[in-house]
Amino acid sequence: MNDAASLVAEPTAAKTREPVLRIAAGSKIYGGVHAIENVNFDLYPGEVHALVGENGAGKSTLCKAIAGAIQLTSGDYVLDGERVNFEQPRDALRAGICMVYQETSLVPTMTAAQNIELGNEKLLTRFRTLNIQAQQLLQSLNFHVDPATPVGLLGTAKKQMVEIARAIYNKARIIIFDEPTASLTPEEIVHFFHLVRDLRARGVAIIYISHALEESLLIADRITVLRDGRLVITAPAKTLTRDALVQHMVGREVAQAVYGGRRETHHRREKVLTVENVTMGMAVKNMSFSVYAGEVVGIAGLIGSGRTEIAKIVFGALKRNLVNGGTIRLRGKPIRYRVPRQAIDDGIAYITEDRKANGFFETMIVDDNVYIGTLATKKGFSFLLSRARRSKLANYWVDRLKINALQRKARIIELSGGNQQKVVLAKTLAQEPSIIFFDEPTRGVDVGTIPHIHAEIRRLADEGKAVVVISSYLPEILAVSDRILVARTGRIVAEFDAADATQDKILYAAVH
Amino acid sequence: MAIESPVAATEAGHVRLNFAKPNQEQIVLLITIVLLVVFGATLNGFATVSNLLNLLRSISILGILGLGMGLIVISRGIDLSEVAIMAGSWAIGLIEVQQGMPPWAAVLLALAVALVIGAINGLMVAFVEAPALFVTLAAGFVIYGLAFWFAPAWVVYAPKDEPVLLFLGAGRILGIPVPILVFAVAAIAMQLFLSRTSIGRFIYSQGDNPEAARLTGIPLRPLIVLEYVLVALLAWLAGLVWIGTTGSIQMAITQGTMIFDVVLVVVIGGISLVGGRGSVYSVVVGCVLIGTLLNAFTIMDVNSEVQNIIKGVVLLAAIVLDNWLHPRDEETARQGD
Repeated sequence: MNDAASLVAEPTAAKTREPVLRIAAGSKIYGGVHAIENVNFDLYPGEVHALVGENGAGKSTLCKAIAGAIQLTSGDYVLDGERVNFEQPRDALRAGICMVYQETSLVPTMTAAQNIELGNEKLLTRFRTLNIQAQQLLQSLNFHVDPATPVGLLGTAKKQMVEIARAIYNKARIIIFDEPTASLTPEEIVHFFHLVRDLRARGVAIIYISHALEESLLIADRITVLRDGRLVITAPAKTLTRDALVQHMVGREVAQAVYGGRRETHHRREKVLTVENVTMGMAVKNMSFSVYAGEVVGIAGLIGSGRTEIAKIVFGALKRNLVNGGTIRLRGKPIRYRVPRQAIDDGIAYITEDRKANGFFETMIVDDNVYIGTLATKKGFSFLLSRARRSKLANYWVDRLKINALQRKARIIELSGGNQQKVVLAKTLAQEPSIIFFDEPTRGVDVGTIPHIHAEIRRLADEGKAVVVISSYLPEILAVSDRILVARTGRIVAEFDAADATQDKILYAAVH
Repeated sequence: MAIESPVAATEAGHVRLNFAKPNQEQIVLLITIVLLVVFGATLNGFATVSNLLNLLRSISILGILGLGMGLIVISRGIDLSEVAIMAGSWAIGLIEVQQGMPPWAAVLLALAVALVIGAINGLMVAFVEAPALFVTLAAGFVIYGLAFWFAPAWVVYAPKDEPVLLFLGAGRILGIPVPILVFAVAAIAMQLFLSRTSIGRFIYSQGDNPEAARLTGIPLRPLIVLEYVLVALLAWLAGLVWIGTTGSIQMAITQGTMIFDVVLVVVIGGISLVGGRGSVYSVVVGCVLIGTLLNAFTIMDVNSEVQNIIKGVVLLAAIVLDNWLHPRDEETARQGD
């Protein structure tokens, strides 16, 4: 059955050949949630196979499984017709599978030659031999990199060349590129494409992950679209268009059914927060937008678009540039917070995207987590703890957010992801903020809990609070927002009224 | 989850304590009880009132220092200068008494010296953001040097005719040595502070997850300074008991292994180096275990090298236990997602 499916979508070049790699019915489960589910993926020698999908669609999970960084929960991993099971990346590397990461994994203080040999060092190395070998390898690839230069001094494009040379040095037959062009200039991209074609001509199989759909269409032989961990389609690139890809990525009908429509009424009131030309390093560049009381503003954008950073800048957790950093006004008054505490005292809240890293206190029970939120504010502080106040507060939020009350006496770390997220919400909302930033409010949350969180977001806006929702998940943005902003490379590039926003329009703005 | 002991019950309301595995305090308490029974049955003169009081008296200085160290370790810090603060502040205080300063003023001088050093430690950790381990290690050397400069003697004697000054170390109330009572009162006060006040709760949250505490709006920097000042305060108190007990302050202790004994009682009792875990109860249990071992060794006449080996092994065992109870790897970090 699997064979039949792949025959349909066969690239012309590989008709008679066997796939070098095949994942059959591969699934990976994290804590009960499928990161990828029942994915059938194959790769032929001398093929460039692009993987596309939204953030969280399962692209990197699939690639990590292929590169041996994680193991599939179920399903077969077949290499050269034999079932394999890689325990660690080193095993996969030995089998000729190499992943070139987004953030380069080179050691900056070592020279290019040393980096190429890294992990394969002999007991004694002569620098001269090493450099000559590296020079020969680099020249054979047509890379103009001095093998004796420390990698930290090289530009991004050259670093990538060193990474690729390392892959070739390791006799890679399968190379996985994760967003290889993200930090390259247009000229460098052209050069990079030449290189990919070169590798293909040598019979190397290439998996190519990119957010830029045009690039995938241009360079790939075949394209696989993933959505919510499932494989939507694998087809020759020639038969696909940009629009078709977007449609496959979004999966309109499914999303509509789960998330329902957008709410109809919304009363825009006072303008409470203005962000004007805010700049922070390379992450946020000249970002401007406003937020009004009583509305939900959705900020869509890919990872790295500056959406989380701007929320943290407003909240005082990150600092914008001191010179030409732009202005942030709270009800007309310019603000610049040194620490989040000041923002909290002014009624601004930020609910983290990574609750495990910095959202809750894992040794404490639900009630204590909620209580400590209010204790940390000026209004709610009292020197002595009060059990009565703690219970009253926790009861209110447990009830309002429908937190599983059976688990009140359990440490929060033992709760489900959805309940943890609700406790983080309660801890923040107990501080009675008037402007609330939600960063990925339903990441890692079970499906049953998502409607509770969305209902709370709307309720807060109806109570007259200004709510900003940052999410990678477009159906979520469409479901909760009154107004939608799209961030790309540190700027707000588009604004839609919820009434005429569609996933296609948002995605188009976000990727190009 | 059932609450196993009455002591845990009093703090469970405010602290947290809900372990799937037995918690470390309970394991250590059990070991201590077993040891007490075994030594009581096998060693002559162990299970007498006077020996047991002596056992408790011998651990009270370690215990008071342990309360301070416990506080700082709960907040994910460490203070290796605690013993040096104790010795240094009192060496300066006592030398002034020898030169004619009234004892009450010397007591306040020692207190001021201790608090200033604590505040400097705190400021370095909180604002310069230097690692606590190195800040306090360096502070220990600086204090040692400064104290020697002001009080150039290995041993600085306390005046023998000041019973009030020596009362906390040498006195008895109803037959009970006062150091035990000082330790008990300090422990109760610390327990109330940690479990019944919001500052105590903030200290736990800082140790649990400093970044989450920052994003929740807890004023971390002032909190850190306060923590190091409190450690210094307890070091000063321990010094007051020390001079009463021995009649002098010995600068040699700043160069010895005493500070590691303090860390030992804290870690054994279940105050995890990970932060945010354990309580005053941990310090008390850890002290009693170490006190029991040392007391039995003294009766058995075990030499100090063997004692050191056993102490080292116990510390290692405690750290292994801590790792087992609070594993920190990727898989556990991912649970609940």
